[in-house]
Amino acid sequence: MAEPKGGYFGKMLEIDLTSGKTQVRSLDEGILRDYIGGEGLGAYLLYKELPAKTDPLSPQNIFMFLTGPFNGTACPSTRLNVSFKSPHTGIYGHSQVGGPIGNEFKWAGWDVVMLKGKSPKPVYIAITNDKVELRDAAPIWGKDTYETEEFMKKDLKDDEYKTMVIGPAGERMVYYSCIIVDRFRAAGRSGGGAVLGSKNVKGIAVKGTKSVPMVNVEAFNKAAKEAWQLASTVEAWQGIKRWGTGGLMEFANYVSGSLVTKNYQTTWYPDVTMIGGEEASRTFWKRHVSCPGCPVHCMKLGVIRTGGKYDGLIAEGPEYETGVLMGSNLGLTEFDEYMKGIETCDALGLDTISTGNVLGFTTEVLEKGLITPADLDGLKPTWGDGETYLKLVNKIALKEGKAGEFLSLGVKRMADKIGKDAHKYAIHVKGQELAAHDPRGFKPRGYSYAMGQLGGCHHEGNSPEGQALWAYLSSMVMCSFVAGVPWTKRNPGIVCDMLNPMTGWDTTPEEYWTTAKRIITVMRAFNIREGGVSRKDDILPVRLRTEPLPEGPMKGAVYSDEDTKKMQDSYYAYYGWDDNGIPTEETLKKLKLDFTVADVRKK
Amino acid sequence: MSERKPDDLERPETVNSSRRCFLKRSAQIAGGIAIASIQSVASPPAILAADPKAPLKPEDRMKYLFVQREHCTGCRSCEYACSQYHEKGAVRPAVARVHVKRFHGVVDVPVICWHCEDSPCVKACPTNPKAIAKDKDTNVIKYIDDKTCLGAKCNKCIEACPAQFLRRHPETGWPMFCDLCDGDPECVKACKAQAEDTAAVIRTNKAGFGVNLAYREVTPKEAAKALHTSLFYPNKDGERR
Repeated sequence: MAEPKGGYFGKMLEIDLTSGKTQVRSLDEGILRDYIGGEGLGAYLLYKELPAKTDPLSPQNIFMFLTGPFNGTACPSTRLNVSFKSPHTGIYGHSQVGGPIGNEFKWAGWDVVMLKGKSPKPVYIAITNDKVELRDAAPIWGKDTYETEEFMKKDLKDDEYKTMVIGPAGERMVYYSCIIVDRFRAAGRSGGGAVLGSKNVKGIAVKGTKSVPMVNVEAFNKAAKEAWQLASTVEAWQGIKRWGTGGLMEFANYVSGSLVTKNYQTTWYPDVTMIGGEEASRTFWKRHVSCPGCPVHCMKLGVIRTGGKYDGLIAEGPEYETGVLMGSNLGLTEFDEYMKGIETCDALGLDTISTGNVLGFTTEVLEKGLITPADLDGLKPTWGDGETYLKLVNKIALKEGKAGEFLSLGVKRMADKIGKDAHKYAIHVKGQELAAHDPRGFKPRGYSYAMGQLGGCHHEGNSPEGQALWAYLSSMVMCSFVAGVPWTKRNPGIVCDMLNPMTGWDTTPEEYWTTAKRIITVMRAFNIREGGVSRKDDILPVRLRTEPLPEGPMKGAVYSDEDTKKMQDSYYAYYGWDDNGIPTEETLKKLKLDFTVADVRKK
Repeated sequence: MSERKPDDLERPETVNSSRRCFLKRSAQIAGGIAIASIQSVASPPAILAADPKAPLKPEDRMKYLFVQREHCTGCRSCEYACSQYHEKGAVRPAVARVHVKRFHGVVDVPVICWHCEDSPCVKACPTNPKAIAKDKDTNVIKYIDDKTCLGAKCNKCIEACPAQFLRRHPETGWPMFCDLCDGDPECVKACKAQAEDTAAVIRTNKAGFGVNLAYREVTPKEAAKALHTSLFYPNKDGERR
């Protein structure tokens, strides 16, 4: 077992919540080189450590906070990755979040923090360099994310701690509850909040004072400066700097024809001008906010100042995915109601993407007469009815009443429960609700939703090669706004230029692609072992394959069976998987994944 | 200004009560600086320029720092640059002199050394001879003798700093002073590069014209409250409904 020379501390903190005991484990340099960190290392560790078919909400599930090699260095905008078996989809779950906490884990000297077991009472975890404490969270159990963060900083008597917490939704194990960093940033997808809730962990506070070891700091900093400059100057991103991703809402409506509207019925929503980036810029936003070292500052904070019921409300966004799913997807036009909905999700710890989908689905099945208001505690949500949606969001987070219990299941389970032809209106892949670009209008996004190992996720890459690239970037735990498009011209060269002087390795672009394929394939192997995932699951929801877009710039577009076949075939061929989407034995052995052969190639 | 001896300039006793009008005036002055600097941003980002290692001539050295807090995005590139300068290229915000504090998740307050003429930190130093002194040529606080400082056993200079700028080194326990990077502050360059399309927050100058003496009285917490009010104006029911 070799210790890493630079870039990593080579240490994993394992906390057994049941007994409260901690253990420091070493990470082998070879494993780090093969799986990099973040998403990739998370998948590997989960495959190795988690017994097959574990119930995701049982104490046996494993929850990990993972950093990458670039966290806490001069490389701009490094984030934090969380990995676990997802209670929402039953397969690999991971989510990435911006904000300052990822670097803090690294500065505290930990590449990975792994949680096992279940605490007998509500706790939050405080990590100060090598010191680890499990502190009483009884006073904040039931409190929203903002109050929880403020309490933790007060309780620790130091506001320099960086925090990550769950809200009431996570405590109640809502399948699509998220984890919130710095009040507004969310590790949203796959239901990580529910896993922390099932372990009785309200949050984590981290403070570190170390620096990341480097083999050749000068060469690394030079490459990091170039990476920074690429991110700062890329033309496509100047709009993101100005309007955040919220500005893409208008673009998706007028140009790309992919603005999800009214539960994916159409992509044409002229009222987008009332909820999009320009409206927010004019009447709501007050300041830009950055992640550490990042020149893009895509996050916008604002305050409702147009009078009315929500005057004085401070909220973040609208971002593209959040704004669309909680806006045009619900037919909303009142800006203040719409921001209140988004802020409520952040405060209660709900994933806005899944929540928006669930509300849209509920509205449509009610419209079609598949459920009755009696199933929703007498509530009758209709398109544009912000007040009712807000009531439902609160009910979901608290699992309150019949409506709360029912809506907290997510669209797949809801459709299963309703039966009849409800599945026609359920927009999900592998149980995870789709995000806010309609793949009928923007076809490449079909890859991300259908082929991505998370299911229904918008962050997986838009082609076979793109997914490999993004898998590697997610394993370095880099932001896609810095490492995705801006680095295109120099990828993977820029990664090697940073990684090699930092670690003392000699990574080549060829190794980069092999490593990326290994990461995708180990996630696939986990999904095959846990969920029996195969070709039949790598498919878009039926509505997107059968109903052409009725209007808008991409009128008539549909994701045809031919498109699906082309997508699946090209993907399997690129990764060396068989026709059924199962990695071949040869591929697995070539990628040093011999330990998965028995599970994957099982007849 | 640098010709005057630090001791000549006693800290005015009334500064707290008259802070309001003092701040109003200095805000106007600061606003003037901001406009001038935005217009003059034409050079390539300083962070990318080759490091000129030659020491600056005394007349070229910067002697003061300023902040325009309302533009801060909380990106912390100033902390990165500061620690890289002082730690041989390593990023380590725990030892950065300049630091940014975030309050309530919505406002960021950059905390800098204002390089006060009267140096309350030096005055508060209890040892004899004093462990720290102000260098008249560079306008920074320097350790006279490393062994004199009581380190973690003493808290006098940290308590005396009106801006709550001073922090301890996590290992040695010594307070960390801003040395203006030998007259060419790295935080200023990093902020300017990062802020090319918003507005730079940390600025530097050779003349202090009194602004620093007024601004320094504002603690980070008070600054946060002021920013919170001016940006988000919470109403009487509190900020959230």
